[in-house]
Amino acid sequence: MKVNTRNFVQTAEREMQNQYARAFLALMPPVIAALRVQVMGSFPDPEAAQELGRAIRAEAVARMPDLLEEFERNAVAAGARVLWARDASEANELVLSIARERNVTEVTKGKSMISEETGLNEAFKNNGIEPFETDLGEFIAQQLERPPFHIVGPAINVPVEEICDLFMKKAGMEKATTDPVELGYAARLFLRDKFRRVRMGITGVNVAVAETGAIVNVENEGNIRFNKSSPLTQVSLMSIEKVVPTMNDALHLVRLLCRNCTGQGISAYVSIDRGPKMKEEFDGPEELFIIIVDNGRSRIYEDVKMRQVLRCIRCGACLNLCPIYSKIGGYPYGWAYSGPMGQVLNPALLGVDDTSDLFNACTLCGTCREICPAGVDHPELFLYYRELEAEGKKMSSGRWEARFFKLWGTAAAHTGLWRFFYRLVRPVVARYGKEGKIKAMPGPFEGWFKTRDLPVPARRTFRDRWRKSMSEKNLSRGGME
Amino acid sequence: MEESAREEILARLRKVPKEETPVRPVLPPARELSLDKEGLVSLFTEKLSRETGVVYRAADRDEALDHLTEIARTENLKRVMTSTDDTILSLDLPAWGDRNGVAVSTAADYVDREEYKRAVFDEADAGITGADFAVAETGTLVTAHSERQPRLLSLAPILHIAVVGIDRLVPVYEEALNAFYGDGGRIPAHVTLITGPSMTADIRATSFKGMHGPRRVMVILLG
Repeated sequence: MKVNTRNFVQTAEREMQNQYARAFLALMPPVIAALRVQVMGSFPDPEAAQELGRAIRAEAVARMPDLLEEFERNAVAAGARVLWARDASEANELVLSIARERNVTEVTKGKSMISEETGLNEAFKNNGIEPFETDLGEFIAQQLERPPFHIVGPAINVPVEEICDLFMKKAGMEKATTDPVELGYAARLFLRDKFRRVRMGITGVNVAVAETGAIVNVENEGNIRFNKSSPLTQVSLMSIEKVVPTMNDALHLVRLLCRNCTGQGISAYVSIDRGPKMKEEFDGPEELFIIIVDNGRSRIYEDVKMRQVLRCIRCGACLNLCPIYSKIGGYPYGWAYSGPMGQVLNPALLGVDDTSDLFNACTLCGTCREICPAGVDHPELFLYYRELEAEGKKMSSGRWEARFFKLWGTAAAHTGLWRFFYRLVRPVVARYGKEGKIKAMPGPFEGWFKTRDLPVPARRTFRDRWRKSMSEKNLSRGGME
Repeated sequence: MEESAREEILARLRKVPKEETPVRPVLPPARELSLDKEGLVSLFTEKLSRETGVVYRAADRDEALDHLTEIARTENLKRVMTSTDDTILSLDLPAWGDRNGVAVSTAADYVDREEYKRAVFDEADAGITGADFAVAETGTLVTAHSERQPRLLSLAPILHIAVVGIDRLVPVYEEALNAFYGDGGRIPAHVTLITGPSMTADIRATSFKGMHGPRRVMVILLG
């Protein structure tokens, strides 16, 4: 997927003007958030359940290399072929070579965030293979060539008129309609034909289980189940952090994932594969490939402060309550992941230089951390990324900022200096005031005033007035005791 | 020799000092565990109904067949495909089909995988299957797939009818899955948890059933 994280501000400004998206954002995330609270109540102790999820994820990350090896051993014993990929291009090349060896010209895909990271769809197209996203939202987003608006509903913001045009052009829909249900059925018809004929299906992995070598997928539509039932070849991509120790751990995470993601007790379908189909089975894949993708994660793992980002289970609960996301939607984050999830993942995976606006566009309110079932401390990571950015000193403003704050620090620590600068700066600043407020200022402070204003400093300081009124009183009283 | 991706990734993960694994909190037992049989039935029914699933009770085989006859009549079923697990075999559905004018077939009736797929995608008005477990927690069916339990039967037809013995009704997922993944026995290649019909809300958050899989799910609890 094309990285567009440098245009955060412009995209956010544009999206803030998009009344359709704004109305939608005002409605949907709070509804999901309310459902979430309600369904968390099915746990006797919801907070303990969240804590257990956090402990499972922390353990999964802490024991990652051992768990990966155990998972591989058991998956291979069950007949799966496990392949490893260092980065995006290696992962894509592995999938492509599997497709080429089988003379496949079309593939169907279940939702897989790691494949969005690696840009698998583009790789397919560049090599003459047609990929069909089969999750309804992904199908629409793919045809429109847009990043996901929300991890759960990647195209949930797209107006029905636009979807209608799209389906008439690209999904063989014959009669125009703006009814979401009829649009959905048109996609069902189009993709059903693919499911029937296609020989290779691609899926992601929600949880991998070390003790059994099984992979678990969570979905509502049934498209992932089709991908695991109809084609002869199944390729499932997972990033290295997906493995948990036991089946019961996986079940608890599935409970948490569904509740935190869509406010459901469980999704319509959970499917678990341990190896390819058995010989006697009438359907299911004859070969199961599991591709374990690193794509920068082992480097993240080396950084003890950043490592916790690998706990994320992609539920998207943090999006729904984020005061920033709920104003700008998913597009400004410019890549596979949006909201606080994207603000912690994108800088870790793409580097802090290209993602500065992401970790700075945050009030550090901490709601994401409180709601996170995986134990990610988003604000801590944002501060860490800011620290890395400042230390990187790659930006010229970084150096300027460092000097400014050094001077500020020295001045603030010395009363005399402070008063001296203060007297110097006040009249200069006051000149930019209009009707009691400073709304803009040229030079380095321009940015600060873009979203804030400042009252014009009074002609005299409080201290001056205090001193003066005291001395007047003293004069009239004839001196203080 | 060039280091393989596997070795390189694992080596880097092992290079860093190991973190302590945190202590896990102990959860209070799930409420479902304290329910009696009727409590489980009513919870299962409540949860599945919420997802538009329909639950029937049948005291015995004949009652189960009566329900099927009624469903076949109201849904105008002409062709159904069935699994061949013990519960379904015990119902002798081919004979039932003869009596009721419903063509009944199984995956084994087709010459090859392609013919079977054509039938299950394009011809079957409903898939009738057993399930290994019904889980009260969320109104969920749990099935280990095999040659007797093909995967597409509960997925491709627009209607899925499941028949489950009431002795297979358990409170929580763990009781079902530990039966498959616990010690001993053949571990299944594919297990599904099904909770109501296929659904989506991806267009304008408008929720509807029957996105790719069945539009409706019916469960007959037997016994």
